[in-house]
Amino acid sequence: MSSEAGDRMAVLQGTLDLIVLRTLKSMGPQHAYAIATRIQQFSEDLLHLNQGTLYPALVRLEQQGRIKGTWGMTESNREAKFYAITKSGEKALAEETLRWRRMSGLVDKLLSEGA
Amino acid sequence: MRRFLSRFANLFRGRDADREMTREIDAHLTLLQDEFERHGMSQEDARRAAHSAYGGVEQTKELHRDARSFVWIEQFFKDLRYAWSSLLRSPGFTLIAVGALALGIGVNATIFGIYNAVALKQLPVADPSSVVRVKRWFGQNAYAYNYTFAYPEYQYLRDHNNVFSGLTAASSAIPVLASISNTAPEHLKGYAVSANYFADLGVNARIGRTFLPDEDRAPGANPVLVLSYRFWKRKFQGDPNVIGQTIKLNSLPYTIVGVAPQGFTGTDTTPIESGFWAPLSMLDQLQPEFGPASDSTWREQFRDSSHPGFQIIARLKEGISREKAQAETDLLIHQYLAGYRENQPTLSVTLQRTSYFGSAGDFWLKALAAAVLTVVSLVLVVACANVANMLLARGVARRREIGIRLALGASRGRVIRQLLTESILLSLLAGAAGILLSAAASRLLWTSLVTVIPSLQQYLVELDVGPDAHVITYGLALSVVTGILFGLAPALQSTRSGLYSATQAEASPSRLRGLLLGIQVAVSVLLLIVSGGLLGGVMSSFAKASELGFETRDTYLLSGRFGSDRAKANASIQRLRDRLETMPEMSRVALGWAPLQGAIQFPMTAEKWKGQATATWASDAYFETLGIPILEGRSFTRQEGDGDASVAVISESTARRVWPGEDPLGKRFTLDSALTFTNYQVVGVARDARFTVITEIDPLHVYVAGGVDRGRVLFRIRGNRDKALLAAQAAVDSVDPTALSTLDMVSLEDGPVAVQRGFLRVLGAFAGTLTLLSLTLAGVGIYGVMAFLVSQRTREIGIRVALGATSGAVIRNVMLQGVWPVLIGTLVGVAGSLALERAPAVQGVRQFILSPPTLSDPVFYAELMLVLAIVVIASWIPARRALRVDPVVALRYE
Repeated sequence: MSSEAGDRMAVLQGTLDLIVLRTLKSMGPQHAYAIATRIQQFSEDLLHLNQGTLYPALVRLEQQGRIKGTWGMTESNREAKFYAITKSGEKALAEETLRWRRMSGLVDKLLSEGA
Repeated sequence: MRRFLSRFANLFRGRDADREMTREIDAHLTLLQDEFERHGMSQEDARRAAHSAYGGVEQTKELHRDARSFVWIEQFFKDLRYAWSSLLRSPGFTLIAVGALALGIGVNATIFGIYNAVALKQLPVADPSSVVRVKRWFGQNAYAYNYTFAYPEYQYLRDHNNVFSGLTAASSAIPVLASISNTAPEHLKGYAVSANYFADLGVNARIGRTFLPDEDRAPGANPVLVLSYRFWKRKFQGDPNVIGQTIKLNSLPYTIVGVAPQGFTGTDTTPIESGFWAPLSMLDQLQPEFGPASDSTWREQFRDSSHPGFQIIARLKEGISREKAQAETDLLIHQYLAGYRENQPTLSVTLQRTSYFGSAGDFWLKALAAAVLTVVSLVLVVACANVANMLLARGVARRREIGIRLALGASRGRVIRQLLTESILLSLLAGAAGILLSAAASRLLWTSLVTVIPSLQQYLVELDVGPDAHVITYGLALSVVTGILFGLAPALQSTRSGLYSATQAEASPSRLRGLLLGIQVAVSVLLLIVSGGLLGGVMSSFAKASELGFETRDTYLLSGRFGSDRAKANASIQRLRDRLETMPEMSRVALGWAPLQGAIQFPMTAEKWKGQATATWASDAYFETLGIPILEGRSFTRQEGDGDASVAVISESTARRVWPGEDPLGKRFTLDSALTFTNYQVVGVARDARFTVITEIDPLHVYVAGGVDRGRVLFRIRGNRDKALLAAQAAVDSVDPTALSTLDMVSLEDGPVAVQRGFLRVLGAFAGTLTLLSLTLAGVGIYGVMAFLVSQRTREIGIRVALGATSGAVIRNVMLQGVWPVLIGTLVGVAGSLALERAPAVQGVRQFILSPPTLSDPVFYAELMLVLAIVVIASWIPARRALRVDPVVALRYE
């Protein structure tokens, strides 16, 4: 699948959860399609997100109690499951963000040192 | 935790979750498609574009499933595989553990299986869950109820309720004389039922038809029968041409219109095997005593005690709850009864779920089941303690393995889970074996119950005691609980020391082991003492007539229904007596209450004395007929007996208790027999007898004059038995031919005495088996533990022997290890049995537990010696093995 889009990135393992949580926190309750669209827009289409891959992440997050899904209707009057971030989700987001910052800082530092 | 639950639920909800996922993916695709359409695509193109943007739907589902299911399922299977191979590695241990547990679980499943068949299986009718039985309560007391209603009550309820889709009435069992095409008549029991009985219960005829809607209306019309399957098989060899044939009941011909299906044996609360069903219109003919009476018929008027009782079974309307139906039924019956005065006012009416054995919801059955299940679970406790001990021993042996796993980073929880998986696997294997075992055992137990108690044969329906879903669920649930119960402590124990002691010498888990050993001994002692009492009951069940205090072989009890009119019936009974007295085949004839037929105690007061005494109403010649010697004074005269004179004969024990050191003759006492409050004068003293139970002399017994009213006819025969019985039958025929259909004559030996004997023996055999089982288990358990201890101490013993310890010293040393737990266990067991003896519940059945454990009873010490002997043997064998330890091998050990 990566051959068709050379300059697009696959989602780094483990970061999708973080991205989804972050999106939900800033946008409020959203259905999967809106989340996918939003992520794609935000990454300016750099991030290749096969929309279906979002589901395992959503299911996982819901089982962990970090988001909660409820069925509702969209503006276009279609039924969809809307996900909202929970308290424990916000806490996890904060922790993961911190971890990510440290990690990416470390990687940055390593890379710049090598250069 | 929530996540755990949701994942766990997902294990079982796979299909639901899949559906939910499909719904969500579809919704997503629709939104995508909308978007593409908004950009001007055709609907079809948009759909395709949406799918391609989304990616593979099936791949997504698979990913989704992965996220949904879990790592620990995988771990579980790993654990399971590991457990399995570790069990296979030590087949000896596995076999013994599975065997011990299988016995324990099997015994429990057997008892539960019988309880299940009797109380939990529902009536063999269509949709039994919506069928209820109407029950009448007279008081708050758990025993104050019955299931009978008068016909007008049934009618009123049927015509006024809004909660039932059907309401059926069935008479109590009606004994008749049945003859098929001029063969000799035989006794048969059947029921008169409302015409809607089969239709509303949803029971279809196997062949022919059931009753038509109006077949029960006109009295005496429609002499038709539906035969029971078993009667049809027995008398007609399952001939399908039986429909349309006639059969005579009490010499009136009835046409057979159908045969009931095999599983349907009736709906009576007592499991009486039904031979036939007839429409209610034939009740008067089937049971002549309810024929047109002087005042009115049973159909029209409510008569309190003399109406024929009907059991009502109803089907709830769809959507009506039992509570709602019960409230309305209660209200309607009270409405109906408002205009009548009842002897025993109806307090409330409830609806009971129908089980195969009608009175299953009753208190006594539940209490009995609880008691028996408690006893058998004690056996399981012994088995559990046994296996727990073996696991503990294994845990010590596996310390290294466990230590290494912990050292490699397995969490303690993970290791415990693995050990528990092993023990649950073990118990599930045992459970499966136990269920198979119980299938055979319950059939055996039931068959022996029925064969040992002859009186059960005639009226107990064939009971299907095979294991069903209930029993299997129970057995497996019990296994899992058992597995956790015996597995947890050893698992905790053997992981506790963990890393630290993996390389240390034995960190002794001996306290827990001692506790388990003690529990086994305690339970075994308890069971042995209790069942020793029951076995005592078996021994004394062989009591001879001389010990019973009355004659049993030649004395017969005659019973039959002589009509519902009390005065007429009494006159018939007196005429019958007069008739029998003239016959040369009879030596003595008397009227009165029969022994061992449920003796009743009444409050009794003498001058200074107050208490409860068993009372028996008796006519003249009563003592001579039963062969009870009069020691002092005299028995009753004919006038006294027939005239209910206020005179009494008391037993010698009564004389000693109430008037110690005095002459009882001429003394007076008062008996409060619920209806009358009579002051009696003592005219005689009779030798003690066993009227309540065959194992024990009645502590207090008074015979009072009377016996015509509600009494039975007792006669003592002379010479040939068959000739005498034929003569008695002829006498009944000449006095009241309608009573012939209900006539029953049985000697005291084959009747009441045999019933009690059978009961005591079954009880004793059952208790004996359980005790044997628990002793064996305890013996094996002690042996196992001791053997293990010896093997653990191989090295030490080797050194001792090498240093010149004598064999006696070694054996003593090994055997003393188990001394404390055994001693304490024994004491606890003894204390428990003494406490049990005083428990009120046990006092109620004390009549059957004959030799209560008293500290002065040699039997008691014999029982203790037995337990100790088993303990000694079980620890002596391994101790001897210790001696054979070769010091050289021992020192090289490890």
